[in-house]
Amino acid sequence: MTQSLQEAVRKLAFKTSIEQLQKRGVKDVKVLGLDRIVALIEEATNRSLKHRLLAGDRAAIANATKEEFLRLLKTNQDLKQSRDELQQEKERAVQDAAAVRKEMEALAGKLKIRLAAAGEEAREQFDDEDEEVRRLVEMLYQDALKSGDQGVFKERMSKLLFGMLEEKRRAAIAATEAAKGEEVSQLQRRIAKLSTTLEQTESKLSMVSSQGFYDSGVASVYREVQGLSLDSRFYDLKKELMADIFKANLQLQKGQRD
Amino acid sequence: MSDKTSTSGKQKASGGKASEKGVLYVGVDLGTSRTAISASNGVRESMDSAVGYPKDVVSHKLLKKDVLYGREALDKRLSLKLFKPLENGILKHCKDPSSKDAKDNVKAAKDLIAHAVKMANARSDELVYAVIGVPAQASINNKEAIVEAARAAVDSVMLCSEPFAVGYGLDMLDDVLVIDIGAGTTDLCRMHGTMPEDSDQITLNVAGDAVDQELSKLIGESCPGAQFTIQMIKELKERYAFLGSALESAEVVLPVAGKPTEFEVTQQVHDACAILVDPIVEGLNKLVSSFDPEFQHKLRNRVLLAGGGSQIKGLDTAIEEAMNRDLGGGKVIRIEEPLYGGANGALKIAHDMPEEYWDKLK
Repeated sequence: MTQSLQEAVRKLAFKTSIEQLQKRGVKDVKVLGLDRIVALIEEATNRSLKHRLLAGDRAAIANATKEEFLRLLKTNQDLKQSRDELQQEKERAVQDAAAVRKEMEALAGKLKIRLAAAGEEAREQFDDEDEEVRRLVEMLYQDALKSGDQGVFKERMSKLLFGMLEEKRRAAIAATEAAKGEEVSQLQRRIAKLSTTLEQTESKLSMVSSQGFYDSGVASVYREVQGLSLDSRFYDLKKELMADIFKANLQLQKGQRD
Repeated sequence: MSDKTSTSGKQKASGGKASEKGVLYVGVDLGTSRTAISASNGVRESMDSAVGYPKDVVSHKLLKKDVLYGREALDKRLSLKLFKPLENGILKHCKDPSSKDAKDNVKAAKDLIAHAVKMANARSDELVYAVIGVPAQASINNKEAIVEAARAAVDSVMLCSEPFAVGYGLDMLDDVLVIDIGAGTTDLCRMHGTMPEDSDQITLNVAGDAVDQELSKLIGESCPGAQFTIQMIKELKERYAFLGSALESAEVVLPVAGKPTEFEVTQQVHDACAILVDPIVEGLNKLVSSFDPEFQHKLRNRVLLAGGGSQIKGLDTAIEEAMNRDLGGGKVIRIEEPLYGGANGALKIAHDMPEEYWDKLK
């Protein structure tokens, strides 16, 4: 039990430097060993209980008190662990959300490019076919000139050719739409799925953030820029050294900016 | 900074820009092997200086991260394009900054520094002022690249010589020799009450990585058929490294044709660590013998041993013995926190730096 108490006191202790103590105006420090602190806690507990309890109960209650103290300490550690886990979960959720957004943007871009390319391909195909028809009509027209009955011949041939062309166009449009529809539909399905994932991730993120364990960072002990303290050892020397370091850095960083 | 009054934080008028936000100072020790930070909010962290990016879409989906750092990056290195941005204490490929390797490496360095600063867990409303310790003889190109990398992550940044930061952190500014043993380089720096100049600093390429290479060679020669990687050797060194008398025997299990086999490599570990001593003592000799003769004795007796490599058991005694032999005596003091010595010193410099200096570098 004494060892557990020692461990508990060690965990509750914090570190500080001699310089920080000097800053607070402390000049002499009295050192109290861990064994002595634990002995004092035990002694204080025993003395307090001695006045109130019979000898038999005293030891049992002292032990129960120590156990309760250690249990509370462990609960505190468990809570810290839970906080750390929630923090990690939040970081993962943030990363997941960013990845999903990135993927959605990439897909939307791909879809736009695909749609534009499909339209362009179709237009080029139609232009070629029109040109072909004009060429054929011209050829027939020339033939008709040679044979005599030009008007009727030209009208019939044009009607026939444009009829054929219209049919081809309908087939081409149907094929393009079918292909386009399938791809677009696939992309749209993926985007819909990613949107759902994003919603779920954001919801999870919101939940984790609302747990109240969100770590907003550890505050610095300083609210303003410090600088050398007047009572610092080697004040003048340190002041010169700070100026030298600054000059070297100014030269380095000024050169970089120029 | 014109006078003492304006330098003192206590006498500074409150209500300036900084006081509205709070100021977090961060000291960074940017090392080839490990990066350590110390911050004015009490946070102290260190990490392996490694950055990894998923190799392809599959590994990206599996790892669920765009970038991995430190130990995690090393553990998942098979799925990653892994970068260790520093080599011999400086940024890799910086001689040819326009090459793709250099650009990728600078990006990795930027991410590494940003992550190191992030480890300080600063509040979003605080100004972050950082001092980064760099090797004593880092080139201008290197320094520029490090400043560029850091600027993205902090409000204002300064660089300082790594061994100088170690001495400053311990308030040992006068007549001190600092030995900072990193992974890539061992920096020796003579402190004599002014900013160290080039002639006060020596950078040796014999450091932690060289010990790993030597140990790898010795084990390869003495343990026939043993299979190992340099990472395994590094872990072995960190566990057993010593000089002088062995406190425990170094017994390791290495695969031989796939079968785990036990080897005793105590002597090899000792011999590999020993390669550090002579070059260091030779460097110390140069710095001592070129110093004012009146103060040489003082300098010899104030040698600070810092950096990850200083954790080799018995290294301080081994250097002292070699100094007794070659320099007629000397006293080596191992600093208390070898891994954080540089970062703590950089933090102290950041703290002592006047406000207007920070402002001018924003």
